[in-house]
Amino acid sequence: MSDVSFSVERGERLAIIGPNGAGKTTLFNLINGQMLPTSGKVFFWGQDITHMRAYSRAHLGQARSFQLISLFLNLSVLDNTLITLHGIKRSRFQMLRPTTAYTDLLAKAREILSPIDLWERRDELVRSLSYGEQRRLEIALTVALEPKLLLLDEPSSGLTSAESSEITDSICKLGRDITVLLVAHDMDLVFGIADRIMVLHYGKVVANGTPEEIRADPRVKEIYMGIEENAGNTTAT
Amino acid sequence: MTITKIMEALRQPWQLQLVRFTPHMVVVLILAILPAVVPAYVQGTWTKFVIFALFALGYDLIYGHVGLLSLGHAAYFGAGGYTVAALMLHYNMDSLWVGLPLGILAAALVAAIFGFMALRVSGMYFLLVTFALGELLYSVTWNWKWLSTPGMQGISGLPRPDLGIPGFTWNTLSFYYFVLVVFLICFFLVHRIMNSPFGHALRGIRENESRTQSLGYNTWLYKYTAFIITGAFAGVAGVLFVYYNRLISPTHVGVATSFLPMIMVIIGGSGTLLGPVIGAFVIVFVEYFASLFTPERWPLILGAIFVVAIMYARGGINIHLSRLWQRLINRYGSTKV
Repeated sequence: MSDVSFSVERGERLAIIGPNGAGKTTLFNLINGQMLPTSGKVFFWGQDITHMRAYSRAHLGQARSFQLISLFLNLSVLDNTLITLHGIKRSRFQMLRPTTAYTDLLAKAREILSPIDLWERRDELVRSLSYGEQRRLEIALTVALEPKLLLLDEPSSGLTSAESSEITDSICKLGRDITVLLVAHDMDLVFGIADRIMVLHYGKVVANGTPEEIRADPRVKEIYMGIEENAGNTTAT
Repeated sequence: MTITKIMEALRQPWQLQLVRFTPHMVVVLILAILPAVVPAYVQGTWTKFVIFALFALGYDLIYGHVGLLSLGHAAYFGAGGYTVAALMLHYNMDSLWVGLPLGILAAALVAAIFGFMALRVSGMYFLLVTFALGELLYSVTWNWKWLSTPGMQGISGLPRPDLGIPGFTWNTLSFYYFVLVVFLICFFLVHRIMNSPFGHALRGIRENESRTQSLGYNTWLYKYTAFIITGAFAGVAGVLFVYYNRLISPTHVGVATSFLPMIMVIIGGSGTLLGPVIGAFVIVFVEYFASLFTPERWPLILGAIFVVAIMYARGGINIHLSRLWQRLINRYGSTKV
């Protein structure tokens, strides 16, 4: 990535779009700390977090969902939820007290799982859930952390349009104290949520503006059209 | 089985509870009663089995829960063992209350140093680094004269520990029960750790480290702490082993000993509480009978068991036993009340 410089206001919903390989997920990795930049800086709430580890960023209030579902497949729904909830609490280092002894967190887990119909199935392994259920669980868990910054990487990929609009609704319902960064190919989702859209292409920002501006931007059209015409070329280069 | 299932089970009628907890009760009863009624030479083998079950149980924390394959656990086993042996040899200190804590401390310390180096890499490289560091300690015990009774390799002629109870003398059975008590304490601790937020985080790391990290867990610190804890458990096993065997030699620090907990956990079933115990039972008793008949062919038999276990009991004996138990319940147990 080069020359990508942008800022997000508190409470803003910014969608990042662009063709495959544009660097959207890389950008997320830089923000959330899975990768460190070779140059440049990352600021979060005025604090320089360029070299901060991913787990410290979680404590500052970042929460992320991954492009490919990355729940703990061999653990139960409840265990997945409790691991998520303990992550930003001091109790995460507790060695001798059972996780289920934290009744406040159990109640919280029930609050998270009931609306998505998973509380009754809390002892099932996540592996045995359907793809849509796993997605919903992942989003619900990410949101449940009450982050300051929510990073959603392709939250609707692989879902039916009904499931996808359900996710759009749930993101729209979030309070404005949460800032949302969204990467998606699903344009209904992007235009349904975003206040502002940033278009990436080959690791560079091509356009950055309101949904209307992006819709009208000739360069954006060119990228999306151009890719289709020169598909062979792009893979070669 | 998660804790919630157990909690639910406790709310269910007693018949269901009885069915569900029978395997655990059977294991505890066997461990508590059977050794009392068998000949003394079998009691000795039982003691060895329980010591190795403890070793395997601790090992499973790093293998079954974190998913790191270590091939150097004899180093921590040996660090604990050599500490009490050297205390007895050089300082005539045979008190349990000094030996056991110092042994655990030494093992944890070695694990802290070795783990710090080994955890810089993962996967196969982790296995190789732990192996190399283990062999390092092996050659130290081999060459450092201070760690040997004059004229031999290793420390021999060691007494049983002094409990500090006046008029108490050891026999095979009382020593067995002493080992069993230590084992049960450790078993309880491992059980608690498995179900704690810490243990859950370890399983999270095994499943998906980068997710665990982005949830706010310092995954390196978790792996490092878990490594030190498993080193400490190996140390407890090493201390008990020296009290039991009354001799420790460099072989007990070498790769052959490191291999044992690994194979026990794989055969018995990793990531469970009973798996390592079952694995230790199989290995120790097959070794016992094999050495009665063909002492020199034991490694051959061990290899054969390993191959059979991998081919026909993938996931460990424990899983197959619990499936069998479940089937028996479904067929014969009327759980309707």
